[in-house]
Amino acid sequence: MDRSLRTVDHSVLKVNQATIIVALVAGFVANLPWLVALVALIMLVGTAIGRPGFFFVYFGALRPLGLVKPDLLSDNPEPHRFAQGFGGVVAALSAIALFVGGEVTGWALTWLVVALAALNLFVGFCAGCAVYYWMNRLGVPGFSKNAPSGTLPGMRPRLG
Amino acid sequence: MAEIIARLAYAAAIAGGGVLLYILLRSRVLAKARRNSRTLERFERGLPGIVYFTTPDCGACKTVQRPALSALRERLQSSLQIIEVDAAERPDLARAWSVLTVPTTFILDREGRPRHVNQGVASAEKLASQLQSVG
Repeated sequence: MDRSLRTVDHSVLKVNQATIIVALVAGFVANLPWLVALVALIMLVGTAIGRPGFFFVYFGALRPLGLVKPDLLSDNPEPHRFAQGFGGVVAALSAIALFVGGEVTGWALTWLVVALAALNLFVGFCAGCAVYYWMNRLGVPGFSKNAPSGTLPGMRPRLG
Repeated sequence: MAEIIARLAYAAAIAGGGVLLYILLRSRVLAKARRNSRTLERFERGLPGIVYFTTPDCGACKTVQRPALSALRERLQSSLQIIEVDAAERPDLARAWSVLTVPTTFILDREGRPRHVNQGVASAEKLASQLQSVG
C-alpha cells in the first residue's frame, strides 16, 4: 500500500474550489481588491496547514445542513495542496497588482485562478499532473523517470 | 450600480468565452484523435472502449482514475475494452491524440471512433454514462 495515500474527502475539495470561484468573481464584479487579498490569504494559510482553505464552509455549514455529502476516496493530498498553493500565490500577485494600480494585470490573474479552479471543479483537471506531463514532454531535466537509452528493463544503467 | 452591472456583464462574457474556448478545444482534440485513431494498434473492433493516457508520475491517475476504471471493468466485464497508454513511453501516440494532460480518457465506439474525451479525472459514473451514449 502506498504510504502517501490517505482518505481524502473530495467534497471538501470541491466546496473549496467553488467558494474560491464565487468569492473571486464577486470581488471582480464588486471591484473589491481586498476580497481577492482575503481569498489569497485563506488559500495560502490553508496550504501551510495542509487543509483546503475554505474547509470551514463545508464543515461549518454545508455538511451539517446535509447540503453536501462526503465523498471519501483513497488519494494523495499533496497534489491538491500544490494546486491550492499555486492558486494562492497567483491570487496574492493579483491582489498586489490591484493595490498598486495594475487593474488589467490584477484582474487577469484573478480570472486565471478562477479558470484553474473551474477546470479542477468541473473537469477534474489536475494542475500538478499537467505540469509534470509538460515538463516531461518538453524534456526538462528532473521531470523524467524514464531510464537512459540502452538500459534493459530491470537492469542498472551502464556507467560511462 | 451601473458599474456593477457592467462588471457583471464582463464576468458573464469572460465565463461564457472560457466555456466556449473549452468546448472548441475539446472538439479539436476529438477531431484530431478521430483522424489518428488507426494509430492505436491494440483496439478490437466490435467492442466499445476507453483509451486511457497516463504517466508514471501522475498521482491522480494512480489514486483516482485507475480505481474508477477498475470499478467500471468489474461492472461491465467483457463488454468493454480498456487500453492504457503510458504517454511518457509513447509520446508519438500522445501527440497524435492531442493529449494535453494526464489522466486523459477517450471513449471509443464499436468502430474505434473517439466520441468523448475527458481531460482530467473522470469518475466511473461519468465514463459509464459516456459509454452508454456510444452504444
